[in-house]
Amino acid sequence: MTTATERPGGAAPPQASARQRGALTGTGTLLRFMLRRDRVRLPTWVLGLTALWAYFANAIGAVMDAESLAGMATMAANPVMALIGGPGYGFDDITVARLVAGFYALYLMLGAVLMSITTLSRHTRVEEQTGRAELVRANVLGRHAQLTAALLLAVVMNLLVAGLTGLVTLGSAIEPPPEAGPSLLMGAGIGATGLAFAGVGAITTQLSAFSRAGSGIAGAVLGAAFVVRGIGDMSTAQDGGIGWLSWLSPLGWSQQTAPFTLDRWWPLLLSVALAVAGAAVGYALQTRRDLAAGVLPDRLGAARAAAWLRSPFALAYRLQRPSLIGWSVAMVLAGVTFGAFAQPMQEGAADMPEEIVAVMGGTEGLLEGYLGFMGIYFALIVAVYVILSVQSLRGEEQGVRAEPVLATSVSRSSWLGAWTAVTAAGALWLLLLAGLGQGFGAVLGTGDWGLFGPVVLGNAVHVAAAWLFLGLAVALYGLAPRLVGVVWIVFVYGTVLSLFGEMLEFDRAVLDTSPFQHVGQHPAEEVSWVAVGILTVLGAVLVGAGATGFRRRDLVTA
Amino acid sequence: MSSTGPARDESPAIDISGVTKNYGKVTALRGLDLEVARGEVHGFLGPNGAGKSTTMRILLGILRHDAGTVRMLGGDPWSDAVALHRRLAYVPGDVELWPNLTGGEAIDLFARLRGGVDAAKRDELIERFDLDPRKKGRTYSKGNRQKVALISALASEADLLLLDEPTAGLDPLMEVVFQECVREAKDAGVTVLLSSHILAQVEILADRISIIRKGTVVESGTLQDLRHLSRTTVTASTDKPLTELAGRQGVHDLHAEGQQTRFEVDAEHLPAIMRDLAAHDVQALTATPPTLEQLLLRHYGDELSGAGSNGNDAGSNGTGTRGKVRSTGNEVAS
Repeated sequence: MTTATERPGGAAPPQASARQRGALTGTGTLLRFMLRRDRVRLPTWVLGLTALWAYFANAIGAVMDAESLAGMATMAANPVMALIGGPGYGFDDITVARLVAGFYALYLMLGAVLMSITTLSRHTRVEEQTGRAELVRANVLGRHAQLTAALLLAVVMNLLVAGLTGLVTLGSAIEPPPEAGPSLLMGAGIGATGLAFAGVGAITTQLSAFSRAGSGIAGAVLGAAFVVRGIGDMSTAQDGGIGWLSWLSPLGWSQQTAPFTLDRWWPLLLSVALAVAGAAVGYALQTRRDLAAGVLPDRLGAARAAAWLRSPFALAYRLQRPSLIGWSVAMVLAGVTFGAFAQPMQEGAADMPEEIVAVMGGTEGLLEGYLGFMGIYFALIVAVYVILSVQSLRGEEQGVRAEPVLATSVSRSSWLGAWTAVTAAGALWLLLLAGLGQGFGAVLGTGDWGLFGPVVLGNAVHVAAAWLFLGLAVALYGLAPRLVGVVWIVFVYGTVLSLFGEMLEFDRAVLDTSPFQHVGQHPAEEVSWVAVGILTVLGAVLVGAGATGFRRRDLVTA
Repeated sequence: MSSTGPARDESPAIDISGVTKNYGKVTALRGLDLEVARGEVHGFLGPNGAGKSTTMRILLGILRHDAGTVRMLGGDPWSDAVALHRRLAYVPGDVELWPNLTGGEAIDLFARLRGGVDAAKRDELIERFDLDPRKKGRTYSKGNRQKVALISALASEADLLLLDEPTAGLDPLMEVVFQECVREAKDAGVTVLLSSHILAQVEILADRISIIRKGTVVESGTLQDLRHLSRTTVTASTDKPLTELAGRQGVHDLHAEGQQTRFEVDAEHLPAIMRDLAAHDVQALTATPPTLEQLLLRHYGDELSGAGSNGNDAGSNGTGTRGKVRSTGNEVAS
């Protein structure tokens, strides 16, 4: 590859420069090819994010009058809100634009990040894993062409997101009308996080020979970025000493631009720098490894299967185990971190104005309200785990690994049932871990062992909502496998309602359509065992429907 | 499903009649008939995309057929799938393994899910196929992935082996090992359905052969039966060229070069032509029976000279993964 020329038959350029350019030969062709492959995916991501942002930008202005805006400002100054929203620049003199920028923009950033991570994985590691990259690389193509083209594609997508969300902000019907500069900065901040994580993705896709493991590492970086800036912002909201933590996170950089308040562009230079550095590291790693290999070498494994590996259930467990381990570590860390912050937050509340504390239900309720609300948060995360698990089941089928198993005396129902059961148990396990971590962290801070049991229970009961998503995903998988992705729409819908529904003053009837709404935020609220039962039964019925559909349809390969 | 009783040994191992399978608008199988007797090695021969894999997958109950009847080992492949799968083993032409399970783990797992593994036989086969079972699935080459599936299938006590181009990617040495193993299985009374487009393999192993073309079985019988359909190639050395044979009925492609004459004769006209040859002063004569290549060419010859519609043929879904890879490569290359 190092001696690749620009075109066969073209005049041979001097060796040294040919080598340098050679590494990128064919990038343009590949980029065009990627754009063609993503002709549906790219507009879906870009327009989807833009539409979500248009909704936030306009809906909040529509539902908020001056009074409720002031109420929001008090609420948003609360540490919990800082954790899930942002540093809240300009909230002391709040406008709709400042609220949107300081609180809701974070979720668009998460969207842009996921867009970048999946784009990088899809066009680099997945191609290598399937062997397609080998075919492509056998043509006149440089070593770094594929990674470069994928990065360029991510840049294009994030520029589009930045531009469109900026214009949507500018055009939103809010008072006072947004100015151009801050509006565009708003959009640029969203695009910049996506760009920064394209750099992260350039590294993580090199590490493992598996796209899923690589994306998992990138997801862990995202989780860390979210938590770090969350703690920093919480600290800032309480005038604590660790507000600088926000500056360690790419999400934090975009939030620190403070559109409509400080309007500073320079933090985005950090995002660009991370993107460039990530790309450079990615190139360096790629030079050092073989095609289709990870950075870590493969080791030899067992020559015989363990004695327990003899049922579809055991196989499902064996296949899900690596990801379950990763998720377990993340849940424990996040649980302990969020739990440990319960005490500092309560102390901070003592210094807070009385009316703010009242909004959160008094000094007593504040702690439990926080711990109960975090239960919803973990339920959302575990729902993601559940959906990804069903999607990887589809990968088993498409990757022709389901076929040889179903050619043995394993029935379709037991194959699907075993996978579903392991995932269902995994969801409960993860929420228990989150609850144990959070409970332990809370006890560590407050010294009150009475919190431990209720916190564990409060997290664990949310498994019913995760099971409903499991049922929905399995039903789609069995009945209409192409439409499994639709479950993400339901997930986003439930997330928006659960996190922002009350602030956006939706009707109770609308709020109640979110699956996360019914179990109750224990220990702040009582656990509704009726809701737990109904959600569980509903999930089971959906799994049954999926199994019936799966028994009747052809297997789909490729 | 009746697994006992006298009916078990009398009915054919596989009995497919008039089976049709559509993928949307594409017809993969149109009225396919196939009968495989108990204990025979049946060669299932056809070019890529003819519908071999689709047929195999219908037998496995992985695909559902649209019309016709399918019986296998006295049961229905779709509704009795689990019971039937205890008695059969399957090797696809494109084995995919779990990237983080070793080959040894995969061999054991498949065999156990089928009902049990003969540990001694497993170890013997690993030895004979020269496989390192400690490697992770992602590190195996295509040939080694095939070995994993083959070893697992051959190490389990199955009544029926469904082998769908099982030696794709194996080197010639391993091909020989495979042939030995299939013979051993046949001696043990196992029925084998062996699909292939590698003619030599089928010729060596098969008791009977069915040729599939565009979703229909066009010929079925022993190699002997099929040979009468084709032409014998005759090469004769005579003093005078045998050019006058060119116009005779049943003689094709006659080439005369000096004293050497080479031509093909339809089987039914061979006796008459031989009598004619006797009248000439034949110094040397070779008559070659048709190879399977020629049998195939005879069935597909009209196609080869035409637009060559092979690539767009029905049933390409059966080898979807490979097809996809190939088309992606083309898109990039163009």
